[in-house]
Formats: sequence, structure tokens, C-alpha cells
Amino acid sequence: MRNAAGREIPERIGSRDVRPFAGAFATTNEGGKAQRPQKVAPRQEEKVLPSIEAAIEASGLTDGGTISFHHCFRDGDRVINQVLDACARRGLKDLRMFATALFPTHKPVIDHVKNGVVSRIEGSMNGPVGAFVSQGGKLAEPAVLRSHGGRWRAIEAGDVEIDLAIIAAPQADPYGNATGTRGKTPCGPIMFSAVDAQYAKRTVVVTNDLQPYPVYPMEIQQGWTDWVVEMDEIGDPNNIVSGTLQLTRSPTNLRIARLTADAVVASPYFKEGFSFQGGAGGISLAATKYLGDEMERAGIVGSFGMGGGTKMLVGLLHKGLIRAILDGQAFDLDAVASIREDEAHVTIDPGLYANYDSRGCATYMLDTAFLGATEVDLDFNVNVNTHSDGRLLHGIGGHQDVAAGAAMTMITIPALRGRMPMIMDRVTTVTTPGEVIDVVVTERGIAVNPKRDDLKERFLDAGLPVRTLEEIKTEVERLVRPLGKPVFGDEVVAVIEWRDGTVIDVVRTVEGWA
Amino acid sequence: MSGRVGIEEKGDCLVEPVPAGGGLDVITKNELLLGPGLRVVAEETLKALGISVGVRLTDFGALDYVIAARIEAALRAEDASASPITLPVDREASDRHRPRRSRLYAPGNRPRLLTGIEVHGADCVLLDLEDSVPPSEKLSARILVKHLLAATRFEGEVWVRINPLDVCGSEDVREILIGRPHGVCLPKAESADDIERLARLLTERETELGLPSGSTWIMPILETAKGILHAEEIAGADPRIVALAFGAEDYTRDVGALRSLRSLLFARSAIVAAAAAAGVQASDTVFSDIEDDEGLAEECVAARELGFDGKGSINPRQLPTIHAAFSPSPEELEQAHRVVAAAREAEAAGSGAVALDGKMIDRPVLERARQMIRYADLLRAGGGSDA
Repeated sequence: MRNAAGREIPERIGSRDVRPFAGAFATTNEGGKAQRPQKVAPRQEEKVLPSIEAAIEASGLTDGGTISFHHCFRDGDRVINQVLDACARRGLKDLRMFATALFPTHKPVIDHVKNGVVSRIEGSMNGPVGAFVSQGGKLAEPAVLRSHGGRWRAIEAGDVEIDLAIIAAPQADPYGNATGTRGKTPCGPIMFSAVDAQYAKRTVVVTNDLQPYPVYPMEIQQGWTDWVVEMDEIGDPNNIVSGTLQLTRSPTNLRIARLTADAVVASPYFKEGFSFQGGAGGISLAATKYLGDEMERAGIVGSFGMGGGTKMLVGLLHKGLIRAILDGQAFDLDAVASIREDEAHVTIDPGLYANYDSRGCATYMLDTAFLGATEVDLDFNVNVNTHSDGRLLHGIGGHQDVAAGAAMTMITIPALRGRMPMIMDRVTTVTTPGEVIDVVVTERGIAVNPKRDDLKERFLDAGLPVRTLEEIKTEVERLVRPLGKPVFGDEVVAVIEWRDGTVIDVVRTVEGWA
Repeated sequence: MSGRVGIEEKGDCLVEPVPAGGGLDVITKNELLLGPGLRVVAEETLKALGISVGVRLTDFGALDYVIAARIEAALRAEDASASPITLPVDREASDRHRPRRSRLYAPGNRPRLLTGIEVHGADCVLLDLEDSVPPSEKLSARILVKHLLAATRFEGEVWVRINPLDVCGSEDVREILIGRPHGVCLPKAESADDIERLARLLTERETELGLPSGSTWIMPILETAKGILHAEEIAGADPRIVALAFGAEDYTRDVGALRSLRSLLFARSAIVAAAAAAGVQASDTVFSDIEDDEGLAEECVAARELGFDGKGSINPRQLPTIHAAFSPSPEELEQAHRVVAAAREAEAAGSGAVALDGKMIDRPVLERARQMIRYADLLRAGGGSDA
């Protein structure tokens, strides 16, 4: 069947009856919330177990069970591989991996798929695991990718039942309170796991810094935690800065950042109390810097900036250019330090940040956001998941949640990456539908969604180079001969959920080339 | 190593000729996605050259123009008798009085820095074959610049800085005129004779290529003591000249000065006066510290005060500052409009004298106001970008 994003998707995928994407805000999810089995703890219960194996045993995890993790150490995480090794030693099979995200450091997951310990994966896959899954025939059910808000919703709604939540915590106490911003190796907030902790059948906090009661801030609460395990190593915080988080020096990217900031300034939103979110890429960081300069020049104080927290965003807070930072995760160690020290740097969980099934999430209060992308098409659809060769290489992150939430959503993307044009007739995969994208900024001009002629007028008045996506596409295609095109097979390797739980697209195997 | 052309960096490719019958060997990180396009470009280029040798091409994300240029350079380095590839070019001549607030330099041998140079909104992009290109890469750079010129649409003007004529400037002219740049910058210009020689070369090549004679502008760069002292004869040497540019780095070395606003005052003023006397524009030297925005802004203000119309730039990041400094400010424009309006009223009233805010307006002030309004109109009409 064809969904509202114009994508052809099966009616049934694996064991799932597909609800097709019907429009960014079209779905009414009226079901209640999932239930967690109740447990009444005695006073001063001893919750510390000697090893991760002991915790797995105590949890009663069986073959086919679901085990969840957070990604707050990003590429520095050391917990997921250790836990899967322990599962393998215990002879567990067919587990469903339900991490928020996997990074290149989690390449050993591939071995655990091959040896049968893991047979299903849900969550973002950045790098090798995604490439492996793309080959097809590897998993018992297609992988499922969700946005930050979409994952929270899926757990609350009971779409995914977690048997065992493992929460890496840079500091914890013996009664199960835990934080990510303190300890020997702070990685930033770990509230991505707050929903896992509250809905999993069993919740285990693992820490390399067990301190006497009470540990705070209580991002993970004692009332949610079954057991606590001490481990020598949980992660390397220096790797929470991944390659995409460096400030760019490329003239092309700086040009895009400059145009982005200029477009924000020309928009009706740039006034006292204005709010924004920059993504994590080098262009977004530079745009945040330029925007800060413009706010300073114009004497404007913003109401809030939304994280992933970065040094750049923290700088704006310290200069008094924004009143607060709302932050779900830290993208560098400056942000971690600021969360500890700045009262106005507020940690929020992904439910508050981005949940569709809620009485209002924080992204809905954004005036503007600038987000990166892998590809954009002439209908303003955005792909952040697959490369032009069809391989699944990135997660959704907060892309859908922020794009749907902000009053003016801007995509920053080079029109050409090497020999590859990034504006297509049709994106390889739709992550975020064109209906929630207002502006696309490339080094060759700014394209405005036709439904936002009001913005177009303002950009033109400000002397900005407004062009159509078609014009930009034609211009770059003069510079390169057409690319080879992947021919997709029938097998679905991954499902891309829209943030409301419907299916916006699927990723299929690549069968050949044309 | 013989005949290997290209730099192992993003946006470029390496091309090596291999013995005849060796065929075409394309190495790329993503064969399925990129291989077919690379092969088509390589085959077309080999066909255009009419040389039957094999080629090994290692790609690092090069655009079509780079691949064609690298193959052409590799094969012509092997076979000096091979004739240059000619390319269709669609480019309009530019107005001699168009705004030239910025001239943005890009090294002519580095695809990584050349590709996309047209997007930054510079009034003039200046593709360099001189100081940024080592002697061993002069041939491949001028071929690369030719292909870039043919492949790229520029919103503003595109110029080529050739080498001095007694180095290899005449070879540069023969090659790059195929790409129809708007003009040619002559470095280390020291006499009217230098200009006349260049003008003759241009005329000759324009005729060969079927281009209108005189259609390629000249911008001499004065950057030696001799050049500064001969500024007047240089500026008036040929109608192709539309601007004089100043090069402070070479000039300070030549006269033994340290670079400061004060030490360069004579040279700058000499250029501005010579340019004004010949009715051409004056463009100031580059500011080489790209991190120092304030220093750049100060130097722009000083140059504009002296009478310069624009300034050189070594990084696109400098363009907003330069453009802002060399564009009429809203306040200046408003004042200009008031002056012109006052003159119109005086004329209507049949009065010879024009007064504004209780002060008499002299003819030159009125003329300057009119000029500024015309210039602002040109900028708005797309003669230059705000960015």
C-alpha cells in the first residue's frame, strides 16, 4: 500500500500489522499506557548484585527476551558488548536488542547475531551494524528505527515490552538512584533510560562509581531500580564527541551555516524570547555560533536553546543570550560540566522532549531548528537513515520530533558531497516528510517550501539567494555524470517509524545496480 | 612517478598514463555508485584528446571537470604535441563599471579549494596560476582552470591570475582563454609595455578562438616599486584595463618596508590616483589573517577612505566584511538621495545654487551622490551579492 508520504510499504512486515503513515499529525493514539509488574520492596533492601551475570540470572531473562540500553556514551560505550558477552556465556538465544542507538564500537553485536544470541534489533544503527543488517537475511524480524520521542512512545504504549533494562550510570548509590553527570566518567544525562527503567520487567543500574546513598540528581530513581551492579568500566566519555560534532572549517559548510543564520535573522521568529535547536553536525554548530553573534548584535535574548548540549550552546547561556538550555543528552564534555554547574541548563527526558502521545512536548515550543540530512528531495522529504547506495547507516535521533515541532524547520545540506548530488527526485528513504520541512539551505541557495511563501518574501527582502530545489539540483547535476542507482529487492531489512508509531518507510535489500 | 597528475586529497583524483593497450582502470571507493559516471567522463576525455594510451584513475570524489582536466594534463605532459581540448563555454561579457568590491583568490591547482568557489557571492573570483602553484604544476593547473571555467556558472566575474609573461604567462593565456574568463590579472606589472604585450597576446588568442577582439579585461597588479612609480602609464596603457590592484606582500619586500597602514600609504595613494585619472577602479591588497575580522574591517575602512573600490580576499569568510565596507551604507545612500532631491528642486525653481540643511552643495558632491545611487542600483540588480 502507499502511505501519505507516497511510499510503497507492505501491509504486513514480519509479525507486524502495519499502520501506514497518514500525515505528520494525523494519527490519534487513544490507547492507555502499558503496565509494569508491581513489586513492593522491603525497607533498606540489599540491591547490589556481584556481577552482570548475577543480574541477568536474577532477572529471569529467557530466550527470545528483550534487553534495552541507552547510548549516552555514544561511541565510547563499554556496557553493551560486555552484557551481550555475558548473555552468550549464559547460553541465551534469540534476544531482541533494544538499545536507543548502536555505534561503530558495537560492531561485536554482529558476531552475536551470527552466533544466535541476538536475532532482532530495534533502535538506531550508526555504522557497521546497520551496514550488516542492510545485507538482508540476518535478523528474524526486520529492524525497527524510531525517533527519540517515538521510542519513548513505543514503550509507554506497550508496542515494545522490555524484559531487562540495563542502565549504564556514571554514578549510582546502592539503593538504585543514578546520574550521568557526576562520577569518574560522566557522560551527560542518562534520562533516555528513564522510560526503560519505569516500564521494564526488571531494571538494573550498572556503575563504575558506587557511592553512599543518596546519589543525585536522581535521573534514575530507586523506585524503578531492581538491582545495582558495579563494573570496572562502563564507557569512555571522551568518545561522546563523535566525528560529526566538530566545528567545520570547510568554506562550503561555513557558507551554509552563514546563510542559515541570515535566514533565521530574516524570519519573523527572530525577536525577544526566540527559541531554537541546532543539530549536532559541523554546519549546525557553526550556524549556532553565527546566530549567537547576530543575537548579540541585535540585543535579543532567547527563551531557550535545545540540546544535545554543546560547547557552543553553553557559550550562549553563559553570555546571557539565552535564558535556558533544555537538554536530553550531552554532545561534549563542556555540556556535561554546564549541566552540573548551571541551574538554567535543564535536563529533560525524551518524553518531555519529544513524545507524540503527550499533552505537549518541548519541541512544540521551538521557533526554529536547523538539522542536517543525508538527502533531500524535490518534495522536501528528508532522509537521514540511508546512504545513496541504499545502506542503512544512521539513526533518526530527534530529527522527526524536532522537524515536526519547530515553527520553522530548516535542513542544512551541501548540494554536492564529493561527486554525489544530495538533492534527488526521490530520497532513498523518507525519514521526515516534506510537510514538516520549511526551508532547505544549501551552499548554492535557500529553497523555501511552497507552503511558506511568507518566509520566501522575507528572505528575498533581506537579499538572500532564494532558489527552487529544482534550480539547485539542475545546477549541480551539470557538474557530475549521473550516479549508479541501486535496484531494491523485496526483502524489508528495516522499518522506519514515524514518531506516532505508524510506518513512514521501509529499507529494503539492494539486489543490483542500474 | 612520470606523468602522474593530481593531488591525493578530497575532490581530486590521481591520473597516471599506462602503456598503450593498458585500457582504462578506474579505482573508486564506491564502484557501484560512482564507477559508471567516472568511466563515461574518462572515456569522453580520451576521445577528445584523440590519444590511444591507457590510463589509471584513482578517484577521491572529483567532479567531472577535475577528471577531464587531470586526464588531459597527464597525457599532454607525456605528449607535448597534443593539442588542448576546446570546450563550449556559455558566458556573457561583463560591464566594465560593474562593482568589484571583492576579488576572491583560489589556488589553481587544488580542486578541493576550487570546487564551489563560485557559491560565495564574490564580485570577482580570481583563479590563481601564479604564486599558489609550484613550477612543476603550472601545466596541470592551467588545464584545470580551463576546465573549471568551462564547467562553472559564475554569478559575478571570474578572472585568472596568470604568471608574468616572461615566466609562462603566454602559455597560460593560450590555455585559459578557451574557458573565456571575464579578465586576466597580470602580476608584477611594471610598465605600459607589459600591458601592451599582454593585450597583443589576448587579441591574438581571441581571434584564434573566434571571440570578440578586446572582450577580455585586464587587471594589472602593482606590487613592485617600479610598478607603483609607473602606475599612471600602466593604468592608461590599454582600454582593456578596468581596475588596478595592489599587492602589498611583494611590495613591502621590494622596498624593504614593514607592513602597516602608514608604510603603504604612498603606494596605495599612487594606485588610487592613477586609477582615477584613467577612469578605472582600484582594488586593495589582501588581508592575510583570516581569523582577525576586526583587523580586516579596519583595513577595509582605511582603504575605502583612500578611494579604493574593493579589496582582495584569501578566504570566503572575509567576504561579508569586505562587501559591507565597500557598499554604500543606508545612511550614506539616504544622504545621497537627499542631495539629488535638493538639486532637482533647485533646478525646478530655476536656481543655480543648491543648498541642503543650510549648506551649499558643490558640483562634485552632487556628482558623487549620483554616482553612489547608480552604484547601489547596480549592486541591487545583482551586480554583487550581499553575502
